Amino acid sequence: MSEPLDIVILGGGTAGWMAATALVSLIPPTSYRVRLVESEEIGIVGVGEATFPEIRNFNDAIGIDEAEMMRATNAAFKLGIQFVDWGFKGSCYIHPFGVHGPVGMDYIFHHRWLRARRLGLKGDIQDYSFAAQAARDCRFELPETRSTNLDSAYTYAYHFDAGLYAVYLRGLAEKRGVIRTEGKVKDVVQDPETGDIRSLLLESGETISGDLFIDCSGFRSLLLGKTLGVGWEDWSKWLPCDRAVAVPSERDELSPYTRSTAMEAGWRWRIPLQHRTGNGYVFSTSFIGEDEAAASLMRSLETKALAEPRMLKFQAGRRVVNWAKNCVAIGLAGGFLEPLESTSIYLIQVAIMQLVPLLPGKSVDPRLRDEFNRLIDLQYERIRDFLILHYKLNTREDAEIWRYCAAMDVPESLTRKIELFRHSAIIERYRDGLFPPTSWLSVFIGQGLIPEAYSPLADTMPGENLVAHMDAFRVDILDRVEEMRRHERFIDLYCAAEPAVAPMGTEVRL
Amino acid sequence: MTRRIEQVVVVGADAPAWMAAAAIQNSVSAAGIRVRVIELPTQLQPADAYSALPELAGFHHRIGLPEDLLFTLCKAVPIAGRRFSNWSGAALPFIHGFDRSPPPAAGLGFTQLWIKGRQKGLRTEFENFSLASVAAKAGRVPVAAGGAALHAAFGYNLDAGAYSALLRHFTMRGGVESKAATIADVETEGDRIIAVILNDGERVEADLFVDASGPRAALIGRMRGADVESWREWLPCDRMLVASARGLRPLPAFSQISAFRHGWIGLSPLQDRTAVVAVYDSRETSDQAVLEDLPALANMPIGGDAIVSGLSQGIRRRAWVGNCVAIGESAFSLEPLDGTQLHIVHYCISQLMTLFPVEAGAFPEAELYDRIVHRLAVNLRDFQLAHYKLNRRFDMPFWDACRDAAVPETLQRKLDVFTARGRVPLNDDETFQEQDWDSLFIGHGLMPQSYDPRVDAIPEQEHIAQVQARLNDIVGLVEAMPPVDDFLAGVNSRQAAEAEAVG
Repeated sequence: MSEPLDIVILGGGTAGWMAATALVSLIPPTSYRVRLVESEEIGIVGVGEATFPEIRNFNDAIGIDEAEMMRATNAAFKLGIQFVDWGFKGSCYIHPFGVHGPVGMDYIFHHRWLRARRLGLKGDIQDYSFAAQAARDCRFELPETRSTNLDSAYTYAYHFDAGLYAVYLRGLAEKRGVIRTEGKVKDVVQDPETGDIRSLLLESGETISGDLFIDCSGFRSLLLGKTLGVGWEDWSKWLPCDRAVAVPSERDELSPYTRSTAMEAGWRWRIPLQHRTGNGYVFSTSFIGEDEAAASLMRSLETKALAEPRMLKFQAGRRVVNWAKNCVAIGLAGGFLEPLESTSIYLIQVAIMQLVPLLPGKSVDPRLRDEFNRLIDLQYERIRDFLILHYKLNTREDAEIWRYCAAMDVPESLTRKIELFRHSAIIERYRDGLFPPTSWLSVFIGQGLIPEAYSPLADTMPGENLVAHMDAFRVDILDRVEEMRRHERFIDLYCAAEPAVAPMGTEVRL
Repeated sequence: MTRRIEQVVVVGADAPAWMAAAAIQNSVSAAGIRVRVIELPTQLQPADAYSALPELAGFHHRIGLPEDLLFTLCKAVPIAGRRFSNWSGAALPFIHGFDRSPPPAAGLGFTQLWIKGRQKGLRTEFENFSLASVAAKAGRVPVAAGGAALHAAFGYNLDAGAYSALLRHFTMRGGVESKAATIADVETEGDRIIAVILNDGERVEADLFVDASGPRAALIGRMRGADVESWREWLPCDRMLVASARGLRPLPAFSQISAFRHGWIGLSPLQDRTAVVAVYDSRETSDQAVLEDLPALANMPIGGDAIVSGLSQGIRRRAWVGNCVAIGESAFSLEPLDGTQLHIVHYCISQLMTLFPVEAGAFPEAELYDRIVHRLAVNLRDFQLAHYKLNRRFDMPFWDACRDAAVPETLQRKLDVFTARGRVPLNDDETFQEQDWDSLFIGHGLMPQSYDPRVDAIPEQEHIAQVQARLNDIVGLVEAMPPVDDFLAGVNSRQAAEAEAVG
């Protein structure tokens, strides 16, 4: 058998430890040895306290016990994201982790809802989403997976402390064989002919050689960006926010959803964890100053701040390619999209799960590299369009940023989607990409885009039957939600964290 | 809301026209939309047969057509796959079986296990790990076969004339009006068809016109921007011969596709005969020569009903212009190499229903429909083209040229990633899934150079056990399946019992 290949991961934040744990869990040490180099002096960004349901596939694949992970990370459940004041002042909608209407009917349900509305049906489309209703009522139970009834109409994600998640993964990864080296990189040694990265020279004098390097160095993009010179594609004309200021506050109500509130120059998050609430303001310095934004965030807190606010700089965009030569960037080293839809950890996860089956041998096979880059581009671009939608689709006149975004040109792929929905209530689906039609539907409708018409397929049932049907379904949801446990209660039973003191204040979290 | 669609006219003939009419009637007649068919002269020959993928059953279910009627009225034979022979000098024939197993967890499919096994000396051919292929070889019909991990389904060979007649009868009984006619003229205003003028002078107006006329493209062919982009540079065959031969006994559970010097011939078993089709390049051979060689190539006498027609493969740049929507072969056409003629018809129809226009005045749905049909077409073209590209009939100019020719980037990517790692990058609107492409590529001898590194995490003994267990599971499942003749006898006795109960 040939020598195992050496994979070197640079950076021990969320991305680094997710990559390390996945590699060591999925691939035997006879094939690849995994090393991780990190420095405790360098703070981590700790992306994403809020996650997307796909995180569960990742955790399952690498063999993580859910309750144990949740206890270790002060995690709570998440059924969707609540958007407040987006689209127009006074709006409030939930982007739920589950369909609107009955399971398997999502191609027609919203057309029926549009028709019923014309016939006098009152209420909101969220009334027909089990996940949205349970979220609104702060209820949670694990979904039933083997049926098509209401209990299977939703999925869920977590709010957790991303720093603790990285610590938890580090424990697993080291136990499973990842070698961790403490140290700062002083120099990167490249092959003079091919330009491939050969080794990292640490300040301690130690040399870490490898066959494949995974750049998890965060915004610095030390290997892919700095060493290999891979360019940056700037998307800030569509996503103008370039700062986040974050602050933890005391725990308040444990709502099973992330809240995103549109502000005068961006938006503010609220993420309830077991031991505290995460808060932050994502804003654009074109529209507000840093101090003013921080003050605005502090004023908005619903509970007492537990630390000083911390500022983080960024730009929306991604590296032109995420895999060049023998180096793959994962996480912020490869790109950044603001956490409006909790996609940061998803982008880490999808890069890892696409990389594993395409891992190179002793030399990089360009066919595998190109395929990885193609898949990652699709993921980034589809998330990007979905984020832009939130900004573009607004009728707020009260602040400069909203007027700018309403007027801006957006990618043609997005314009087409908006116009087709406006005219015909049709939503295109895609195979490789995070957001299903139900996600698009919730944002379209929630931000005030009510289609001009609906499909004639929804006209086949007599009107009074349709309205009665819709009403009965809504009541079914309410009845079932009432039987569910309170979210707090469920957490107490399932995964209450030890009342330990969590490390805090050294990180800005997104 | 502006004015709704009230009247739809389907122009066409044979199965596509009636499939379209039945589906539209079924979905929206209750919404007050009327459907009328202008029935053009048939383009079928007595010898014609349709091959259908298993997904046709879903279409029948949606429109409410009882499946048993196919076997009692359309001389249908259920088939579990398509067997490809003589595409390579030395290699064995292989069967592209209609496996319909759910995608594997975390994307680590059996193919990856097989690749490593192969590298370690496993001798069992890939197709023996396909439930459908093994069923096909054993002459068995995969009736609701399989457990959670292994699943297969059957498609059909159908007498084209009888199937069209059944659909026509079924659709008319459902309340669709029709009139047999030819088109004298089409009255347009900009991008809109105002009316179709028939040969008897009748002027037929509608809000939406569906062109189901096949390659003759009676309506879409007249629309602006809907000209044809030819695929001949990749797909050289331009002639198609159809004929009949005697029926096979016992009935096989597959169609046979054999390459010959200038193209390929297909033998599709029906209950009363075998439908024969030959597809070839007119620059390489003549109709007469093919007809003379046919009995030897098919290894059986050929009936006197042979008919030759031209075949042009390509796609219309737009499949929906104004209020005119092309479905099936009016939108794009391919050879019947992979049995997808009816599939493209019902796929287009189901897209039309999903995108059914919300008003009679503007059709922004067209742009999305065009893109979907284009993706569908390109994916199917690439699947078909891969047969040619991967041939190993050396020292024959036609086949050497096919093997050496560059292929479109979409197919090249699939070939590259499969060669490198045994994975197939799928696009939106793929008819064939990863298990189909695996079967096609490996069947034609394309062997991946490496496999998913996760396979090495499975201990060797367990790997061997999993491979063995799959073989055993397949043998067990196939043994429980009925042979084709038993399956047909079962349908007949069911029908007889029903008739008695009614009588």
